[in-house]
Amino acid sequence: MSAGTAGKTGIQVSPAHPGRPVKPRHGAQVGAAVVVLAAITVWAGIGVQINIAAIWENWSNASGNIIQLLQPDYGFFPKVIPALVETLQMAVIATAVGSALSLPLAFLASRATNPRPGLLRATRLVMNIVRAVPDILYAAILVAVVGVGALSGVMALILFNVGIIVKLVSEALDGEDPGALEAALAAGASWPKANRAAMLPQILPSFASQVLYTFELNIRASTVIGLVGAGGLGILIDNVRSFFRYHELSMIILSILALVLVLESVSSALRRKLV
Amino acid sequence: MDSTGADIRFDDVSVTYPNGFTGLKGINLSIPAGEMVGIVGLSGAGKSTLVRTINGLVPITSGRISVGNHQLTGRGEAQLRGRDLRELRSNVGMVFQSFNLARRTTVINNVLMGRLYHSPAWRTLLGAWKNDDVELAMSALERVEIVQKAYEKASSLSGGQQQRVAIARTLAQRPKVILADEPVASLDPPTSHVVMRDLQRINAELGITVVVNLHFLDLARRYSDRLIGLRSGEVVFDGPGADADESVFESIYGRSLTAEDVLDAKPVLDTEVDLNAEVELDAVVKRGAGSEL
Amino acid sequence: MTELKTQPRLAPARPKKPTSMLRNALWLFVSLVIVAAFWSVKIKWSALGDFPTQLLKYIGLMLVPPDWSKFGEAFSATILSVQMAWIGTVLGIVVSLPLSFLASRGLAPRVVNAPLRLIFAVIRAVPEVVIAILILSVTGLTPFTGALALAVGSVGTLGKWGYEAFEGVDAGPKEAVRSTGGSTLALIRWGVWPSAAPDVFSFWLYRFEINVRASAILGLIGAGGIGKMLQDNVQFRNWDAVGMLLIVVIAVTMGIDQLSGAVRNRLIHGYWRIPKAAR
Repeated sequence: MSAGTAGKTGIQVSPAHPGRPVKPRHGAQVGAAVVVLAAITVWAGIGVQINIAAIWENWSNASGNIIQLLQPDYGFFPKVIPALVETLQMAVIATAVGSALSLPLAFLASRATNPRPGLLRATRLVMNIVRAVPDILYAAILVAVVGVGALSGVMALILFNVGIIVKLVSEALDGEDPGALEAALAAGASWPKANRAAMLPQILPSFASQVLYTFELNIRASTVIGLVGAGGLGILIDNVRSFFRYHELSMIILSILALVLVLESVSSALRRKLV
Repeated sequence: MDSTGADIRFDDVSVTYPNGFTGLKGINLSIPAGEMVGIVGLSGAGKSTLVRTINGLVPITSGRISVGNHQLTGRGEAQLRGRDLRELRSNVGMVFQSFNLARRTTVINNVLMGRLYHSPAWRTLLGAWKNDDVELAMSALERVEIVQKAYEKASSLSGGQQQRVAIARTLAQRPKVILADEPVASLDPPTSHVVMRDLQRINAELGITVVVNLHFLDLARRYSDRLIGLRSGEVVFDGPGADADESVFESIYGRSLTAEDVLDAKPVLDTEVDLNAEVELDAVVKRGAGSEL
Repeated sequence: MTELKTQPRLAPARPKKPTSMLRNALWLFVSLVIVAAFWSVKIKWSALGDFPTQLLKYIGLMLVPPDWSKFGEAFSATILSVQMAWIGTVLGIVVSLPLSFLASRGLAPRVVNAPLRLIFAVIRAVPEVVIAILILSVTGLTPFTGALALAVGSVGTLGKWGYEAFEGVDAGPKEAVRSTGGSTLALIRWGVWPSAAPDVFSFWLYRFEINVRASAILGLIGAGGIGKMLQDNVQFRNWDAVGMLLIVVIAVTMGIDQLSGAVRNRLIHGYWRIPKAAR
């Protein structure tokens, strides 16, 4: 399959050495791909105004800021704690609700487990739309709808989670051997029952690890959606940033770092035990 | 119902796949309740299609199949569907070539899949099976002599053990018919005999009608009451195995018999070893510890 | 009905249903954490009562109808975010590829592996917007800052996925190269890369998809693109403009996902598959 032309036309024979095949050529394809990629890169580079010179010029005044960043204000930590806790609460709630909603949706979104083409296509279209909206857009809109605070953040994260988990789990279902499902259907089970009994146990490990992965993503995301007022650390980051308080910013970053690294190690330990 | 098996009738049954391939051509068959039927033929001859029409996994294009008091009809007529189709399937157990177990869950959960039709949705959802169903599943496992593996993951079992779990799954349905589609094609020769003997014993002791597709002629002749030969979707032989001589095989396979077509002669050099293994296995099975393969 | 009660010749004892203390304890712990989070979080759940009507109201404000005059602005903002994502991904690939070889066990000494892995982990812990705030003072408030922040973030994930893929390659081809007397470079080129390449390519595409979404947020701190337009319009409650932006973002992102899915399929399976409208 690798050499498309050779597969279709049969192997061509070398004139000098009958019996040896001619080396299949796809130089033109590779060349075209390189040109296209380079062109996109140049276009994008112009768009984002790549400017290496500015980095040199700014270096001297920036070095002061960087030195400040390397000296976190540990006294600021008590003020970080409530925001850190709220971030954690938001992430836990959003992961729990999001994964509970995702499991049935994933079965509706997989070719292997949903026998109705219409429903399948509709589910996938909706899920593609849900996944296409950046979390910050959800957060900004939901802050307007339900007001500033953790609730809007939790809801934005739930939408974000459902998008990711449904995609990954439905792909896991697509790749699963449908043998047991066939057996359950042959025993007279309806599709929902057969999916529950035959497919759910098969994808439970990958579901569990997706849930833990999205939990880690949520911690990171929930620090950020606060920038538009959706609760958590983001609000605090926005405050100290606007007043150039780099020692405090540094303390916040350090706390995020510690929280994420601790949770990541706990979650990878959990993953090993659960799977 | 007196007999525990169901009879099966094919009336002029044809199957044409959506891609135009003809699976079956005008099949007429009558299989009385409690019979053990072996179906032989080359791959592509329609063996799989034939057994899969009996439980409606492959819908028939024209004709009529009756299984007990259920009727399957061709396209355009009132086709069996929804709950009626599921009721038929609950009465027909099926054993597959690749076992088709949910490998990541326990053996007992796999056997309980045979009870899905009869269990309410909430019980299935929560995995809260009725005690009667668990009891039924356990005794099905006992019948195939593998009950001590009940709480192990299906993936930890050998191929032969997995196939016996699959047989237990069909038994848990309390079926009237068992269909087996190449049940031993993924197994080595000694294990093949154990699995075939299980099917034979179930047929003899419980009176369940058994229809089994087999690639190997010697297995088919040895384990079934009646042999049906298929070629290009048509029945070319139907009769007791003893009647199936060299010329019959030629009509089924379109060529004379080779070592490829019999189980215990393949490969020739290993025959002796395989037969010895089988003899030992026989002894093991007779002691009732056949699951420790 | 079939009678199954006739016992076989010699039935071994039935096993007891096993219970796993560890597993139960884990589930208990997870449930407790969830309950605690719900119970302690400062959220007025009663606000959810108005949610449906409020949501409908805002959907009406945004989409019935969207402000079509803002289409050009929304489109160029989205394209700028995509450009940021592209440059971020390209720089991320250029930096992460050699680093992930160095971070793979068996391809570089342990003393090189360990610090690189730590660096990847630290980068993954920090959200892109925070990275952008950090490098802001060096690069100034331009889209390039956003691209660099995405590049740094990409190094964290691509680096990790890369070394995991390289370490996961079958031992067979590696042994084969070693047995012919190949150097480490030959090992990488002929023993590791051919097997890992399809996975690595698809990681690149996946990271690009992530970057397209992540780039939206960078506008909030002034890097331009989707985030900037979002902020400008939410501030003045121009909801119909936000609606226009929403439509453009969804359309462009879905288009990119389809395209990247098609490319991924070509790289993995070796042929183009025309993506269906609603794949």
